[in-house]
Order: sequence, then structure tokens, then C-alpha cells
Amino acid sequence: MINYQRFFLTNGLTVIHHHDPNTKLCVLNILYKVGSKNELPNKTGFAHLFEHLMFGGSVNISDYDDELQKAGGENNAFTSNDITNYYLTLPQQNIETGFWLESDRMLSLDFSEQSLDVQRNVVIEEFKERYLNQPYGDIWLKLLPLAYKIHPYNWPTIGKEISHIESASLDDVKNFFFSFYAPNNAILVVAGNIDLDQTKALCQKWFAEIPSREVRKPDYEQEPKQTEARFLSIEADVPLHAIVKAYHMPARMENGYYESDLLSDMLGSGRSAILYQELVKNQRLFSELDCYITGDIDRGLFVIEGKLMKNITHEKANEEIEKTLRLALESIEEKDLQKVKNKTETTIRFNEVNVLNRAMKLAYCEMLGDIDLANSEADQYLKVNLQTLKAMGKDMLRAENCSTLFYISKNAK
Amino acid sequence: MPSNRKLAPAVREINKVIIKPADCLTLPSGIKMYSVNDPSVDVLKIEFVFDAGARLQPSPYVASATNAMLVEGTTKYTSKELAENLDFFGAYLQNRSGSDDATLTLFCLPRHLESCLPFVVDILTNASYSEHELITQKENAIQRLMVNEGKTSYLARRSFYESVFGYNNPYGTPVYQQDINNISRETLVSYYENKYRAKLKYLMISGSVGSMVIDKLASALSGFTEQNQTKYVYATTQERAKKIAIHKDGSVQSTIRIGRKLFGRNHPDFRKMQLLNLVLGGYFGSRLMSNIREEKGLTYGIYSSLESYLYDGAFYIETDINNDLVELGVSEIYKELHLLSTQPIGEEELNTAKSYMLGSFLRSLDGVFEQANRQRILIDYGLSAEYYEEFIEIIKNTNSLSLLELANKYLKQEDLYEVVAGK
Repeated sequence: MINYQRFFLTNGLTVIHHHDPNTKLCVLNILYKVGSKNELPNKTGFAHLFEHLMFGGSVNISDYDDELQKAGGENNAFTSNDITNYYLTLPQQNIETGFWLESDRMLSLDFSEQSLDVQRNVVIEEFKERYLNQPYGDIWLKLLPLAYKIHPYNWPTIGKEISHIESASLDDVKNFFFSFYAPNNAILVVAGNIDLDQTKALCQKWFAEIPSREVRKPDYEQEPKQTEARFLSIEADVPLHAIVKAYHMPARMENGYYESDLLSDMLGSGRSAILYQELVKNQRLFSELDCYITGDIDRGLFVIEGKLMKNITHEKANEEIEKTLRLALESIEEKDLQKVKNKTETTIRFNEVNVLNRAMKLAYCEMLGDIDLANSEADQYLKVNLQTLKAMGKDMLRAENCSTLFYISKNAK
Repeated sequence: MPSNRKLAPAVREINKVIIKPADCLTLPSGIKMYSVNDPSVDVLKIEFVFDAGARLQPSPYVASATNAMLVEGTTKYTSKELAENLDFFGAYLQNRSGSDDATLTLFCLPRHLESCLPFVVDILTNASYSEHELITQKENAIQRLMVNEGKTSYLARRSFYESVFGYNNPYGTPVYQQDINNISRETLVSYYENKYRAKLKYLMISGSVGSMVIDKLASALSGFTEQNQTKYVYATTQERAKKIAIHKDGSVQSTIRIGRKLFGRNHPDFRKMQLLNLVLGGYFGSRLMSNIREEKGLTYGIYSSLESYLYDGAFYIETDINNDLVELGVSEIYKELHLLSTQPIGEEELNTAKSYMLGSFLRSLDGVFEQANRQRILIDYGLSAEYYEEFIEIIKNTNSLSLLELANKYLKQEDLYEVVAGK
């Protein structure tokens, strides 16, 4: 059970307090409701670049990291399609340093040209390191535009191309900040060895004076239903053939979300999973095969991804995946469902051990509009019924709902 | 409202942490069952530790393969049945083979422990090493290795250890495709007989460890014998090239790895060296990160690291840099090393590093699993219970002159190996 108290500042900031007297640490987690889906199609990668700029100095503090380190703290951040999330941990006695740092950069950045220059380069190097210099690193750059025709999920958070990052200007940066980085567009979680009164006092002291801002409304349409199977073949200098299949799945708060998550576990998680047993172990078509969901707020993707054994063609691999999916949806039983429910329960309990994970979960559930989900999520999974899951799976795992990428190894030919 | 946002709130330093030692129960066989209990959680992590790491293997890849195959079937259950049963109880089984030790770790909810244990015990007493499963395992391992060999970071890392320790040194032995091909069932069976079957170096239990948990594990291990740590036997002397270039077609960036063989945690300079390493490249505020990423934007990341083994250790710097900027990157790295061994670290910089290090230390003790990890270090290296309290004192009392001395002693350019993989 994750305990919490929620309150609001008059500027619109949502604050959630979670008390844990067993730790010597305090956590601040700030979720801003902005992700790559809020970007313009000709300025992609911006939300993530902006995450880097948030460490380049704020209006009163020139070096965020240096000040945090002096207080014994550590921080990091990530950007997804939907959100940008910043978190720090500090020894409990120094938590005010965290309030000082986070409130100052919510107040305003110092918008330095030099910081923008450097972080542009750093992000371009990140683009190369993770997407271009790794075998199969560009899979998402190729797959997303195939799966999404109009929704902004059609580019990865790093951006469509390096040129978008290169052309980011200081005006873009300012504009983005004042459109999305606002107390009324953020959720602050204060967790750990700190009581509610102190949390309220520190929030009042450091965050209350930050003005509300007019937040830019999302300006995009939902992806229309896919009606025909999509295929793309690409060739690259990689050692093995690979295949990726992506099916549109329910949105995070839509019916069918929990069913699709459990189904992905049955098919692909762990060594007893159906796809692994049938296609890796029995038929020896793949050396590895995973199945997972992206789980985004809007309709995400249910992904099957594998590396082919030598001399197996993409056509054969694809055919056998589809056949195995069909058979699986006929043959799964209560016992299979119970198994993945048990595994999900274990995963949830292990995740809750860490105070930072609890803080992030509270922020995420609040952002979804249902903070109680932080505690009721396990029940949502346990409630799933086999017939509904099968029906949902049959509807989702149709060829017409799927984008398939044949990743061809030049070397394997 | 704050009176002045330019003023940092007062900061208090970390003076003392209370570290509860692990509980220990010695079974009649001599096997020690350590535990770190936190009744506020509802999970269990059970680490079975074996004296079976890569440094003890008769030929390359044997330790890894023996460990990986543990879960691929016993005389009683097939690989699939083992997986089905453990998965059904929501348990996760993780097998890892390191340089020194190997582990099999069970993660489960306490209420399922009793159902899971018989399968784990069966794995540790009756693993079958079927020829059929071994073929699958080898084919998949080769495919994974092929993918890794497409990464400059992997190529640089493999070559680094081989160069620094020497091919025949157990800490340096690389894995090539041929090594995987050469694995035979007989070798694995014999390694399993010697290193795993009904043997255990020790057990570490963390999470919600009630007396029922202890009793069940003690009874499950009743037929096991205690395994002693095998001593280090190899010392390398052969001369090897100090500069290695590995070309990889189509690479955009190169991985640079610069470093040397050093020492492990038991060395008297280890903890001071941790502080020196931190200043150089051990955190975001480090000199390498500040200069090469935050000032020059040459890379997404650069870090340095101290790696400790039971009988040896290594120091290295690693980064990925654009092919055309590799020379600049390398020369900046040597510049920073030179600076570190010619000029004392300024007081403010040193204080920031110390504060960060102590904060990090506090984080490394947060939560029951972290505490168990800390306790395992004491057990593995035979360190006293005061090791961590001393750590705080040593960090606080290390001054910039002694760090200058360390840099001169251990970070001389002529002692360093330099591997560049990519361009």
C-alpha cells in the first residue's frame, strides 16, 4: 500500500506527498505533461533536447548539477512520447536544496546560447550513439512512420532526423518553455523521510510564487483505424535478419489495456512464454523473440520482435509467428492466465520496494487522472477474465492491424 | 517566498550512517545463510552463490555456459517444465556468471517460496545438461555474440581486458565464436559436478525474511556441502601492445577505452582511489564529463571506472566519439590525466566530490536489497564490519596532496592501454 496525500497550490501545481520513515533519503519527482507528441512535425526531438537544456542553468542558479552534488544529491530525467519526468534524491537533511533547484528552473531558465550549442551537439551524439552506431538501432526510426500515419507517435523521442535538432533556435526554446513548463502543467511528488507539514511549508515557500501560464493545447488527431497489413523491408549492415511486428493496441485508460499487457506476457515474457517455446525452442526459427507493449497514453503498440536463425526467410518467420498467435488465442487456458497474473503481481511488489519508483508511479497515475491506480493496479490485472482477453487478442492481433518490418542483413544473404 | 533565490539553502554533511550487519546462521554443513530482513516489504530475493566464476574455468566460456544451462532441464523436469512451474508461482530465476563467482537468484513473493524451492534444489542437484538443449544454447549464444560484435563498445571492451590482463589471465579471457563452438557437454557436466552439484559458497536472503523462510531454506539445503573460495593462481608477465586499433566497417562513432590493470577492494589505496576516480570521471560533475561533454559537446557520455575483482582490479575511461574527433578526444583525456597528476585538486571541487560521494554512499544503503549487496561485498572480500564506517572517515580525511600522489603513482600515461574501436 502506497500512502499519499494530495494538495494543490493556487498557481495550479499538483503536489503529492508520500511518507516513508524507513529511508534516509528524500525524493522530488516532477512530471511535466509534455512529450514528443506535443512537438511539431518539422521540429521533432525538441521535448527531449529541452530535457537536456533544463540542466543548463536557470534564472538564479548557473549550475544545477554542481549545486545538487554539493548537497550529496543525484538526479536524472527521461522524455517519452507523453511526458518529461525529472527526479532527484537527496539525503533527507538536505531536501530543501531540491526545492530550491526545481522551483528555480520552473520559474525560468537562463536561456543561454552557449548551453543550447553544447546540448545540441550532445543530443546529436546521443542520436548517433543509440540510433545509428548500434546494429538495429534505427528500427524505431523506420517502424513508427509505418505504424502511425498522422499521430505524432510516428517519430521517436530522439526526433525524426538530426537536422531537426541542428536547427533548434533559442526562440524555439523560450517558446517551448513558456508553453509547457508551468506549475499548472506539472505534478510534483515529494517522497521519503519528510513529513506533510514540512512538505507543505517548502512547497509554499519555493513554488507558490511561480505564475500560472497558458499551456498550449495538444494539436493533433488520433490515428485512424488501420485497415490493411503494412510491410516494409530495409537492408543494413547487421549480422542477422530480424523481424518486428507492431499491432495497434488500446490506449492506457481504454478497455483492453490490461488484457493486452497480460497477453504480451503470455506470448513473450519469460522462458515458458508461448512464442519463445514454440518458435525459439521447438521450431528453431529464432534465436531470440520478445513480445511487449509500449503502453502509451494514446493508442500504443503491441510489439513482437525477433532475430532469425540462419537460412530462415522473413516470409517463413512471419507466417509462423502469425500461425502461432492464432493457435495460442484458441488454446490458452485459465492456468496460463493465472501464471501471468502471478508474475505481474510479483513485478509490482518488487517495484514498490524502492521509494523513487513509488514516487514516479504516483506522479504517473495522477497524470492519468486516477491516482488511486497506484494502489489498485494489481487488482486491475487480477480482474482480467480469460474470455475477454481472448476476444480482445483476436481483435488486436489481425494482420490488417499490423505493421511488419523485415530487417534484412546484407551479410546473411 | 524565499528571501533570495540566488542563495543556496544550508547544507548539512553526512557524518554517520548506521549499518546493521547481516544476520548469519551456520548450518551443520558449515554453509552460512546470511539474511537482511525488512518486514515492511512483501518480497524475497534469495541468492545462491557459487565459487564458479570465469576465473576458475578450464577453458573459455565454460563458466558462463555451465551457469546458463542450469535452468535448461534436470533429470526430473524438462527445461519447459521448470520454466512453467516457476513462472506459475510468479517467480523469476536469474542466473549470472561473473569473473569470480556465479549466482542463481530466486525472486518471489514469500507465500510462494515453498512451492518454488523444490525446483531450485532440483536444478542445483540434478541438472541434466541435455545435448539437445546445449545445441540450442550454443546457437543462440553465437547469434547474440554476432550482434555484440557489431557494436564498437563491445569490441573495445573485449580487447581491453584481453590486453590489460593478458589472454591467459582468468580476468582477461575473451569469448570468441570458436570458444562457444568448442563447448562440449562433458566439460559442462564436469564443471557442474565440481562447482555446483549440492554445493554452495553461501546464501544471501533479503526482503521479508521471517523465521519460516529461514527454516525452509535450511531444510532445503540439508544435503549441501560448503564450498571454499579457490585462491588466485595466475600472474601474468607477458608484454603486450599498448595501443590497439580495431576497425569496424560502417561505424559512425568510435569507442575509446583507456586504462590499466590496477587493484581490487582489498588494496589499502582502493577507497582513496575511488575518490580520485570520481573527480576524474565518476559522476556528472567530473572533469571528463565537464570538459568533453558539457564544454565541448564531443560525446553523449564519458566516464571512468574502478573495477574490483577478488584478486585484482582495473581502471578505465570509456566514451563514444565521432570518428573524425577521436584524436581530439584522446588528447583531451590525456590532458585531464596530466592535470590530475601535476596540480592539486582545488578545495571546492574536492568538497563537492566528497559530498556527492557520501550522498551516493547513503543511496547505496537505501532499501533492503541495496543493504544486502553491501553485505555481500563484505563477505566476498572478507572485510570487517567497520569497513563502511571507515569509508566515511577515509573520504572525509583525504586531502588533495594525497590524491596528487595517487594520480602520479597509478595514472601515468606510460602505464595505460589505449583501445579505439570503430574508424
